[in-house]
Amino acid sequence: MDQKTRDDLLKLFQSKLNQAMRFYLETCSRCGVCVEACHVYASMGQVKNISAYRHEIVRRIYKKYFKSRGKLWPSLGEAKELSEMALEELYEAAYTCTGCRRCMVYCPHGIDTQMIMSIAKLLLVGAESEPEILTMLADTSIEKGKSLDLFKENFLTGIKKLEAEVVKKWKMDAGETAIPVDVKGADLLYVALAGAHSIIPAAAIFNAARENWTLSFFEAVNFGAFVGDPTRTKLIMDRIINEAKRLGVKEVCVCECGTAYRVLKQMKEKQPFSVSSITEVHARYLREGRIKLDKSKTKSPVTYHDPCQIARNAGVIDEPRYILQHLTDDFRDMTPDIRYNWCCGGGGGLVALGDETLDFRMKSAKVKVDQVNETGAKILATACENCHTQLSNLNDHYQMGVDVRFLSSMIADALIQ
Amino acid sequence: METVYYIIMIPMVYVAFAVFFVGTGVRLVKIFREPKNPTDLQIFPEKRPGWLLAVGDTFLLPTVRRHKPVLWVFLMLFHISFLLLIIGHLELIADFRIIQIIPHEVFLGNGFIGLVLSIALLYFLFRRLLSPVRELSVPEDYYLLILLFLTVIFGSQMDWARAWYGYGEMAVDEYRGYLSSLVYLRPELSEEITLPGHSFMLVLHIFFANLFLIFFPFSKIMHSFFSMAMNKLRRG
Repeated sequence: MDQKTRDDLLKLFQSKLNQAMRFYLETCSRCGVCVEACHVYASMGQVKNISAYRHEIVRRIYKKYFKSRGKLWPSLGEAKELSEMALEELYEAAYTCTGCRRCMVYCPHGIDTQMIMSIAKLLLVGAESEPEILTMLADTSIEKGKSLDLFKENFLTGIKKLEAEVVKKWKMDAGETAIPVDVKGADLLYVALAGAHSIIPAAAIFNAARENWTLSFFEAVNFGAFVGDPTRTKLIMDRIINEAKRLGVKEVCVCECGTAYRVLKQMKEKQPFSVSSITEVHARYLREGRIKLDKSKTKSPVTYHDPCQIARNAGVIDEPRYILQHLTDDFRDMTPDIRYNWCCGGGGGLVALGDETLDFRMKSAKVKVDQVNETGAKILATACENCHTQLSNLNDHYQMGVDVRFLSSMIADALIQ
Repeated sequence: METVYYIIMIPMVYVAFAVFFVGTGVRLVKIFREPKNPTDLQIFPEKRPGWLLAVGDTFLLPTVRRHKPVLWVFLMLFHISFLLLIIGHLELIADFRIIQIIPHEVFLGNGFIGLVLSIALLYFLFRRLLSPVRELSVPEDYYLLILLFLTVIFGSQMDWARAWYGYGEMAVDEYRGYLSSLVYLRPELSEEITLPGHSFMLVLHIFFANLFLIFFPFSKIMHSFFSMAMNKLRRG
């Protein structure tokens, strides 16, 4: 690696060094309390997958370039030069971590491994060594935001075709639009994923609840966050923020996508709208009596996988359970409690990398399979696209014999007209 | 030898404390002036009051108690003993009435605090030699434990001799004479401190303690100042 590249990468490293990141990089006592925290280590038993081992890979570079003792006495903390080989180590550490933050529950100091891995991911972007497909997908999303007019017509035609499916789930009065798009003054902007499964059930439920809603032109998923690029993450997020402001909505409702929800929910800038996950909105409709559900439509028993970015990392925990009370009399929560819920093994962009990561994803999520099997449930519900894909893959691979369902889809199927 | 004793027991002590206070102060100011993270770093479910629970997380180490109960016992013994040793050392400088609210002999603990601390440090050291903690460790982790162990064992040895074997040549008054002279910036090394047979123990104890203080601001032991703020981030 030449000096110029290294300097550029170190500038990127520097850009991530705020107060919290310094705390995380300075404090690890390598006590080993986090050993059993990571699902990858728990499933595969390799030391390189222990959280503290992962962040030490980043920390060694930090010590080398950002600590005077790394220059005076590098062997003390095994300070390490940023080289091609170091980039390979960073890649392995970052793209075997799903960013579930389960290790944060174990650490006596509360070190956030996902934060530390975001440095590794950013350095990989800077060195053009990140998974190319994630950057391409992020750039496609950004491009869509810049040239909305180019794809608008196709989008509207595609949406029109879905309306009949929505009406099958919830009958509409004559003249009503099943999937409203670009409605100024709507109360709620629904940001879906590119796929009918993310739009049809949600639309039926909004219509059933008589919501004054409109569908976003943009898909919720933020590939910029997966690839760990703050600039791309912001550009992708800004498309939705600008659309929400243009339409003057009061609430932005994010579909079943963990990363998209957390990224939007936790932005610091104050906005004229609130951000909700679709699960929160559905729980609200039930609480307010705006929708009613028929329990006989759901096969039992049911268990629920808490998507890490929605539950442990964003606090949507009671709402899915409240919804499930209205869907079944035999809900079986996983053990132990939510803080210790195992990650599905598909986060952090791993599912988006598809077959490339399939073998690893299957091996590294064995503990999740055991956790689901222990419930004896026949339906495995969840509220995140990535989790759904990963859990479906696990279901096939381990022949778990469960039906993996989106929570929204279960609600739409159980709506009482 | 006298010169070596002098350097370790007077100038080096001042240097060590200066490095410790200035180094720790500068590092604290620098890190607390860094910009805050743009997003929340909390984990859920949320419990309130967050600040109080963060204090509990910092001092009672509930996550360690749950996942590594044996380590937790040793960590608690270690940290409590360390605090008691600091109090014990303060009493070797002067008589603090506030510390004597519960009347006790100086030096505190009748030798057992140092013993507990030594055992805890040996436990940490041997634990680190076993996989998987061995693979996580870097040289700093061993150096710090060894340095602390050496400091504690030489310090405790003097305490044990006095408390358990009736060794009476170096007692509280002698230490107070030496330590208070350092505090009042009129350093004085009396023969009562440098001549007895146990003087070399004291010199070694002070030497390793100096090294520890010098190392402190640049090491992971800064967690003693950062841990509370980090736990607050986690609690939200």
